[in-house]
Amino acid sequence: MNESSTALPHHGLLSLEQKMHWRIAWISTVDHKRLGILYMITGLVFFVAGGLEALFIRLQLAIPNNHLVSPDTFNQLFTLHGTTMLFLVAMPVLFGLANYFIPLQIGARDMAFPRLNAFGFWLVPFGGILLHFSLLAGGAPAVGWFAYTPLSERPFSSQLGVDYWALSLLVLGIGSVSTGFNIIATVLCMRGPGMTLRRIPLFTWINFINAFIVILAIPVLNAALVMLLIDRRLDAHFFLPQQGGSAIIYQHIFWAFGHPEVYILALPAFGIISEVVPVFSRKPIFGYEFVAGSSIAIGLLSFGVWAHHMFTVGMGRAADSFFAIASMLIAIPTGVKVLNWSATMVGGRIRLTTPMLFAIAFLIHFTCAGLTGVSHAMAALDWQTKNSYFLIAHFHFVAVGAIVFAIFAALHYWFPKMSGRMLSERLGRWEFWLMVIGFNLTFIIQHFLGLAGMPRRVFTYPDLPGWGWMNMVSTIGAFFMTAASLIFVYNLANSFFRGAPAGDNPWNAWTLEWATPSPPPHDNFDALPPIHSRRPLWDLANPGRPDPVVGPQGKADVANLEKNKTSVLAFILSEAGFFGVLILAFLYYNANPQPGPGPRDLNLSKTLIFSLCLFASSFTIWRSEVALHLEKHHAMKLWLALTILLGGIFLIGQGMEYWALFQSGVAVNSNLFATSFFTLTGFHGIHVGVGLIALLIVLAMALAGDFEKKKSTTLEAISLYWHFVDVVWLLVLTVVYLLPRLR
Amino acid sequence: MNTKQFLISGWTWNPMVIAAAVIALVVYWISFRDRSRIGYLVAAQTVFLLALVSPINALADGYLFSAHMLQHILLLLIVPVLVLLALPRDFALSEKVSWLANPLLGWLAGVGSMWLWHAPALCNAAVSSRPVYAAQTISLLALGSLFWWQVIAPREEDRLSPPAAIIYLFTACTACSVLGIILTFSPVTVCPIYMHVQDRLGLLETIRSDWGMTPERDQQIGGLLMWVPMCAIYLFAILAQLARWFSPSRTEEHAR
Repeated sequence: MNESSTALPHHGLLSLEQKMHWRIAWISTVDHKRLGILYMITGLVFFVAGGLEALFIRLQLAIPNNHLVSPDTFNQLFTLHGTTMLFLVAMPVLFGLANYFIPLQIGARDMAFPRLNAFGFWLVPFGGILLHFSLLAGGAPAVGWFAYTPLSERPFSSQLGVDYWALSLLVLGIGSVSTGFNIIATVLCMRGPGMTLRRIPLFTWINFINAFIVILAIPVLNAALVMLLIDRRLDAHFFLPQQGGSAIIYQHIFWAFGHPEVYILALPAFGIISEVVPVFSRKPIFGYEFVAGSSIAIGLLSFGVWAHHMFTVGMGRAADSFFAIASMLIAIPTGVKVLNWSATMVGGRIRLTTPMLFAIAFLIHFTCAGLTGVSHAMAALDWQTKNSYFLIAHFHFVAVGAIVFAIFAALHYWFPKMSGRMLSERLGRWEFWLMVIGFNLTFIIQHFLGLAGMPRRVFTYPDLPGWGWMNMVSTIGAFFMTAASLIFVYNLANSFFRGAPAGDNPWNAWTLEWATPSPPPHDNFDALPPIHSRRPLWDLANPGRPDPVVGPQGKADVANLEKNKTSVLAFILSEAGFFGVLILAFLYYNANPQPGPGPRDLNLSKTLIFSLCLFASSFTIWRSEVALHLEKHHAMKLWLALTILLGGIFLIGQGMEYWALFQSGVAVNSNLFATSFFTLTGFHGIHVGVGLIALLIVLAMALAGDFEKKKSTTLEAISLYWHFVDVVWLLVLTVVYLLPRLR
Repeated sequence: MNTKQFLISGWTWNPMVIAAAVIALVVYWISFRDRSRIGYLVAAQTVFLLALVSPINALADGYLFSAHMLQHILLLLIVPVLVLLALPRDFALSEKVSWLANPLLGWLAGVGSMWLWHAPALCNAAVSSRPVYAAQTISLLALGSLFWWQVIAPREEDRLSPPAAIIYLFTACTACSVLGIILTFSPVTVCPIYMHVQDRLGLLETIRSDWGMTPERDQQIGGLLMWVPMCAIYLFAILAQLARWFSPSRTEEHAR
């Protein structure tokens, strides 16, 4: 490293004192900026893996009747490619950008929970290693990125690949959810003075909305994964039709996650474009309110339209029609956004820098992707093009043409802030044009391939008219994109050491991250500029004609919330999604009585006694809170201990119930009632156990006198969680024990 | 009876319903001096009569679960909104009943009425018994008004703040979607009375063969109505809250 040649302090890499213990300085960091960079580097590493997988796929398909890789290897390649690119590249990089820039944009020193942030990050490499470890453990998953049952069940995929796939996604999912509620808590609780919710930059706003989608959608996937794992490892049959399960239910649960997942990736991209386009058009964004509002509309709609992924399953004409109409509705808020960005450029002084070039390409690609997307909303057309290369072309226009291009725009836009140096514009142009040419070569032609009838997920194809040369064009395009990526990596590395110094605000941008040195110091800001509008740096530079003041409106707009309670509420929201799926699954699988054990074999009277203990514990923990409020510390400890005792009795009761069932020969795999019963009550039991551990920690804190020294919201936050666990049990009691007896 | 005959003769001229509509109009005229918003009340009456007099009502009365669901949506989500919009902008609840204006109560009213009336026993009873049916209609209107009061009460200070209202509406939307999902995918019949239709009008043949409405598809459409269009209504309300949030309020103008 040639540090002496420049005068830049390298806060981004290592500060002086950290040189002393450089081996752990990055590994043990809880700084949101470093974690952001670690996220992005991890994403880049897996981008190489996913990219190589894609290249092998394209090489295999370059000519007809090719035998470069075997059919089974090909299946593994596209499964790994899809999973890697979505969960290990796009999500980490976007989370990394959010991590780095949300605190800077709202004038905070760090995320709300720095250590949770580090935890969320380290689960990404761990999950990635789990996924790729399957290669060594006897075969990678070969079931596609959505792992449809029954193919992914043990009778059809007997190797361990699917288990590693599911475990890895579980690990990644837990990390994503923790990052999700960290972002929510950061935006709600950590905003600097004057930074009201209506003044936050669009990148932050859209990531904030996106975090809600993350915490609501990912637990749904987690539920599907644990059900799949229970099927595979414990011989249950949630999704095995031969034994009375339902493979369609897996599809519903998966796409109830899968469709929002598209927006989890697309919304941050929209946020990036909403920052880049105004800055390089020298105009404020056209219709901030509409960009902000349409994001909420997209988020809400995304949860109601998943069944359009299942038109070909045979849900019936009625369901198809409703979901076709609902899916078309999404075109409205996305169309609004495209118009906003275009209108921002109209009449602006456009600077065609590399980030802006990528943003413009994003706009064009995204519009094309939207057109093929909205046409897929028509069930009749969907039947013809589903599982053909037309669909591949559509979603790569979203995932690459839009999302990857937005990521490139973001990295070129913010690299100067992160490193203190400019990327080479000359190389940037090479990257851009190679990428645009390569991308369009690869994927435009695939629309025609699909319409000509080429199905997806075939390892080779016969030499039909046109197929050979079209596939060859597509493969050549992939190599153009590879070249672009290689130049990009070289540009990153080279500019990091030898780029021109960037200064605080090289693009003359207006949001707060540009008000601090590049790279930002550890605490981000020495002092914040006054914030009266959405462009504080514009106001600072143009005191004569500042932006109109965006007035605070009421308490909800200005006040920062308390972060412990906020994050626990967000956590509860996401847990509600998880239990919601399990409860709905129980209702579905037990709608009709089945042979073998049933709800009437459960001992209702004993369960009611233990339930009363649990419900009583909600009362005792409330008394404990009241005692703390009145500063009666002794009473508070007693009520807390009583709560733990009651929770413990409940767990023992549940254990006794399980034992009695096991004794009478009822096991997880006895029938669908037993499977869904043990899954639902078991996960509730785990949550009670986790709550008890949390309560024990609070008790230990109380015994150590922590609550006497300073005011703490720990007890309030944990008690919210405890009440939630009790409410879930009320639902479980009703659905599992009471409702079936009414019939 | 074919479709055309049904559309001509399938109107339920229920004197109670028409009387209720007329009385509401008269009460409004007498009570309020500022009648500039009477258009909303007329719209509310139109939807009210559409739900309870038009052929929708004849279908809901024992023939089609989906028609019953449409009626349900109109009475719970559309009529109360229009009625609240018709009130003069200085209208406030009197002290005695101000406890009704509680967000939790409002939320439970809106969501609870949906869940409660679709318990199989109550759902059947509402079709087979006139008094229960009347109770259902009245409760839907009343509980719907309680629900919407939190969002579109005439006076700004009686409403939830926009972010809170968005959470209020979003959670209500989710809770109703869950019921819609259950109805759509349920392998069993939720409201068995629609399985065994008493063919009073001689319409069953038309419904089953001309319209292609089997009992299973009927329940599916009912569930989908509750899931998709109902959520669209909530979504529209959420967007209205956003518009309210981003527009400078009167107090703010004043403060400037």
